[in-house]
Amino acid sequence: MSDPSVTQDLIHGGEGPAASVVSSSNRPRSLWQDTWDILRHRKIFWISFIMLILFLLMAAFPSLFTHKNPDYATLAKSMDPPSGEAWFGYDLQGRDVFARTIYGARTSIIVGVLATLVTVILGGVAGVLAAYYARWVDSILSRIGEIFLGVPYVLGAIIILGTVAPAQSSPDRVTIMAVVIIVLAVLGWPILMRIARSSVIQAKHQDYVQAARALGAGPFRIIFKHLLPNSLAPILVYSTITIGSYIGAEATLSLLGIGLREPVISWGIAIADHTSYIRTGAHAMLFPAAFLSLCVLTFVMLGEAVRDALDPKLR
Amino acid sequence: MVEVLSGPTGRGSYSGALLEVENLQVEFHTRQGVAKAVNGVTYSVNPGETLAVLGESGSGKSVTAQTIMGILDMPPGRVAGGAIRFRGVDILKLPEEQRRRIRGEGISMVFQDALSALNPVFPVGWQIAEMFRIHRGSSRSDAKKKAVELMDRVRIPGARDRVNDFPHQFSGGMRQRIMIAMAIALDPEILIADEPTTALDVTVQAQIMGLLADLQRDSNMGLILITHDLGVVADVADKIAVMYGGRIVETAPVHDLYRNPAHPYTKGLLESIPRVDLKGQELYAIKGMPPNLLEMPSGCAFHPRCPYRREDCATAVPPLYPISGTRGSACHYWREVVDGSR
Amino acid sequence: MGRYTIRRLLQLIPVLLGTTFLINYMVWQLPGDPFAGRCGQRPCPDSYVSAMRAQFGLDQPILLQYWQFLKNMLSGNLGVDFNQVPVVTQLADAWPITIRLALLAVAIEAVIGISAGVLSGLKRGGFIDNVVTISTLFLLSLPVFVTGFLLQWLLGVQFQIITPTVSDEAPIMELIVPAFVLASLNMAFTARLTRTSIVENRRSDYVRTAIAKGLTNRRVVGVHLLRNSLIPVLTFLGTEVGSLMSGAIITEGIFNIHGIGGLLYRAITGQDYTIVVPIASLLVLVYLVSNLLVDLLYGVLDPRIRYE
Ligand SMILES: Nc1ncnc2c1ncn2[C@@H]1O[C@H](COP(=O)(O)OP(=O)(O)OP(=O)(O)O)[C@@H](O)[C@H]1O
Ligand SMILES: [Mg+2]
Repeated sequence: MSDPSVTQDLIHGGEGPAASVVSSSNRPRSLWQDTWDILRHRKIFWISFIMLILFLLMAAFPSLFTHKNPDYATLAKSMDPPSGEAWFGYDLQGRDVFARTIYGARTSIIVGVLATLVTVILGGVAGVLAAYYARWVDSILSRIGEIFLGVPYVLGAIIILGTVAPAQSSPDRVTIMAVVIIVLAVLGWPILMRIARSSVIQAKHQDYVQAARALGAGPFRIIFKHLLPNSLAPILVYSTITIGSYIGAEATLSLLGIGLREPVISWGIAIADHTSYIRTGAHAMLFPAAFLSLCVLTFVMLGEAVRDALDPKLR
Repeated sequence: MVEVLSGPTGRGSYSGALLEVENLQVEFHTRQGVAKAVNGVTYSVNPGETLAVLGESGSGKSVTAQTIMGILDMPPGRVAGGAIRFRGVDILKLPEEQRRRIRGEGISMVFQDALSALNPVFPVGWQIAEMFRIHRGSSRSDAKKKAVELMDRVRIPGARDRVNDFPHQFSGGMRQRIMIAMAIALDPEILIADEPTTALDVTVQAQIMGLLADLQRDSNMGLILITHDLGVVADVADKIAVMYGGRIVETAPVHDLYRNPAHPYTKGLLESIPRVDLKGQELYAIKGMPPNLLEMPSGCAFHPRCPYRREDCATAVPPLYPISGTRGSACHYWREVVDGSR
Repeated sequence: MGRYTIRRLLQLIPVLLGTTFLINYMVWQLPGDPFAGRCGQRPCPDSYVSAMRAQFGLDQPILLQYWQFLKNMLSGNLGVDFNQVPVVTQLADAWPITIRLALLAVAIEAVIGISAGVLSGLKRGGFIDNVVTISTLFLLSLPVFVTGFLLQWLLGVQFQIITPTVSDEAPIMELIVPAFVLASLNMAFTARLTRTSIVENRRSDYVRTAIAKGLTNRRVVGVHLLRNSLIPVLTFLGTEVGSLMSGAIITEGIFNIHGIGGLLYRAITGQDYTIVVPIASLLVLVYLVSNLLVDLLYGVLDPRIRYE
C-alpha cells in the first residue's frame, strides 16, 4: 500500500491526477491488476479460493452435501463411530455428525461475516472520522479504542456474554447470534479503526486531496470519493483474515457455554457437547473441529495471499 | 607478477600495485532484468596514494567499492567477471574465511551515512573496541583503552568521557570520526571512503577531509576516495578515475585531468563546477539523462549526451586509449577533446 | 527515567479505576439475579435471597458498592464467595499454577518462536522458511482449543505419552503440553515478527558495517543483527503476557488445571461474581503493569528512545 494514488486509479477508472502514473509498459496499470497478476500464479490463492467456494456452497445449500436431517436423533445410535452409513458417526444424542457438521458451516460463516461487517462499519467510520477531523476527535476516538484494546479479548467476551446471556439462559436463535456478533464487533473494532485511520491520514496529505479541498469539495465528497477508496485494500485484507478469526472466536465462546447454544447448529457447540467424551468418542468432536479449522484456515490463507500480492516487498 | 605472501593479511613483498581492480564486472538480477552496474572497471592504488573516483549518481562507484570489500548484496548482485588483486592475490577467489580476515585488517571502509552505518544499540567505544577483540583477541579493558586512544586520534573532544555514549548522541561530524576511527583501528593498508562527507556541512567536510589526509600520511595507507565533489579532489587526490555507466571513462593524474580533460564527460563535469573567477557566467550542465543500466546505449554509453559524437560512437565501444603514462581516455575522439575543438 | 516511570504509574490509576468500575458495574448491575438459581430445582426462598443481597451489599447504591470493593481490594480482604469460602484462599491456591503455566508458555514462545523466525528470516524462500510460513499459518488458523483438544487426544489418548488432564499440584512436566497450547498462537506471531524484523534489518547499513569490520558471520548475525531485530519481538512478548493470562481460561479448562483461568471460568458459569470481579480486576492489573514494564524495557533495549 505504498502508493495510494494507484488505488485511486482503480476506483475512478484512471481519471484525475493519478492517471498520469504510467509504468514502463506504457499502459497505466492498477494496483488490482498487478495484484491479480501475482495472485494468479500463487497456488495458495487457488487452494484457498476453491475451499472458500466449497464452504460458501455448504453454507448456502447444505442439502447439496447431505440429504439427512441434522436434527433427527436416534438415541440408540448415540456415539456410534464412523461407518459407511454415517461417515462421521453419530453424536451423543444419536444425530448424524456429518449432517450436523455440514449444517454448522452456515452458522459459522454468517456469524463470521456479519461480525466482520459490523466491525468494519464501526471501525471504518471511527477511523475515517478520526483521521479526517484529527485534533480532539482523533484523540478521543483513539483513547476509547485503546481502552477496548486494553481488555484482553477472551476476558472481555466472557464478562460481557457471561452477564448479558449467562450460560443458564436459553435465548432464541436470532437473539443469541445477534448478541455474539455484537460482542465480537465491539471488542474488535479498534484494530480496524487504526488501519482505516492510518491509510486515510496517508491519503489526506496527497496533493490531489489537498487540491479537492482547496476547490471547495465538502467533507462527505472528500471522504467518500478520495479517502475511503484509499483504505479499501488494507481493510479488505484485514477483514478476510478477521472473518476467519471471528469464526474461531465464535466457536471458542460456544465452547465456554456463553456463545451460541442449542437449537443453533454450530461447530463450536458440537465440540463443546462432546469434550468429556474425548476418550470414547473423539469422532463427534474431531470432525467438527477439523471443519472449523479448515474454514478458519481458508479465510486466513486467502487474506494472507492477497496481502502478500498487494505488497510483494514483504515476501 | 610475483606472488609472495605471508598469509592473507601478512605484509609480504609483492610487485605491482597494492590493490588492483581489473576489468571488474558486476550485475544485479532484478525483476526487470539484469542491470550491469559495473562493466569492466580497472584501477589501482599504491601505499600512500590517493585515488579519487568520480562520477554521477548510479555510475557504479559504490558497487565497485562494495565488491572490493566483499559486502555486495548477493543476491541480487553477482560478480560477472574480472579480478581484484590485493598484494597480488585475487581476493575474489579466496575462501570466505580468508576474505573476512582481510576486511578491517587489510582493507577497510568508511561509509557515507555514519548514523545508519553505526549500530544504534551499542556504545561507540564498544563498537571500536570490537575490532581489537575480534581480530586481535584483546581483553575487554585493553580494547576499550585502545578505543579511547583512537577516538583521541580522530580528534573527538573528551574521548574518555564519551566512549560509552551511543551513536545518536553525537553530531554528524563526530559520528563520521567514529566511523573513521573504527576503520583505521587495525592499521589497514587500504582505506575506502565512500562519500565520507556528503552528509555533513561544509566546514565539517573540510575537517574530515583534513583528518583523512593526515591519517593517510601518518600511516602510508592507500586511499580510495569516492566523491562527487571535484573541489575536494583537487586538494587531496593523486590520481583520478572518472566513471560513467559502470565504466572508467578517464584516468589521469589529478593535475593533468583538471588542466586538460581527455573525455567529453569529464570536460562536462569540470565545466559544471561553479568557479569564483567566472562569476556571472552561466553554469554548464551535461544534457540528457544518465544511462539506463537495463538497456545500456550501444557503443559508447555516453554517446547520446556527447557533443563530440560521430556515427561510429553508437556502434563501437571505445577501449581505454592510453594517452601518456598513466593517462587514459575511453573516447574515440579524445584528441579533439584534448585540443578543445568542439 | 524515574520521573517517567512515576508519571506512567500515575496514569495507570485512572485507567485501573475505570476498568474495575466497568467490571463491577457489568457484573453486578446487568440483568439476571445471581441468587435465583442457587437452590437446585426450586426457586430460592425470599429470605435467603435478601440475606445474600445484604451480605454482598447489593442493596446499596452502585457507587457505594464500588467504594467498598476498592477498600476491600486495597486491604487484601476479598471476603467470601457465595458458598462462604474465603476468596483469598482460592486465589492463593490458583495463582502460582497459572503463573507457572504462563511463564512456561512465554519461554516456549520465545525459544521456539524466535529461533524459527531467525532461521526463516535468514534464508528467505528456503526450505525452513517455507516450513515456518506454513506451520505458522496453521497455528494462526487453529483456534487454541482445537490445538488443545487435538494434542490432548493425540498425546493423551492415542499415544498415551501424557496424562490427558493435569493433576492438582500441576508439576512443571505435566504443564509442558498445556503451556505449548497456550503459547501456540503467540509463538506463531513471534516467529513471523522475528522473521520480518530480521529481513528488514538484514540489509541495513549497520549490518553491512559489521561485515566490513571483518566480524565472523556468526557474530554479525548473533550480536549485531539479532540485538536490533529482537527489540520489537521482546516488546511483543511482554505486551502479550497479560492476554496470555486470560487465554489460560481456555487452556486450563481443557486440561483441567486448577489455576486462575479455571477458577474464573467456573465462577462465571456458576455466576459467582464475588470471584469474577477480583480475578478480572487482577488480570487487568497484570495486563496494564506488563504493558508499563514493556515500555520501560523498550528504553533499556533501544538507547535511542528518550522519555520526557
Ligand atoms: N542492491 C542492489 N540491487 C539492485 N541494484 C543495485 C543494488 N545496488 C546498486 N544497484 C544499482 O547499481 C547501480 C550503481 O549503483 P552505485 O551505488 O554504485 O552508484 P554510485 O555511483 O555509488 O552512485 P551515488 O553517487 O549515488 O552513490 C545503480 O544504478 C543501482 O541501481
Ligand atoms: Mg554510492
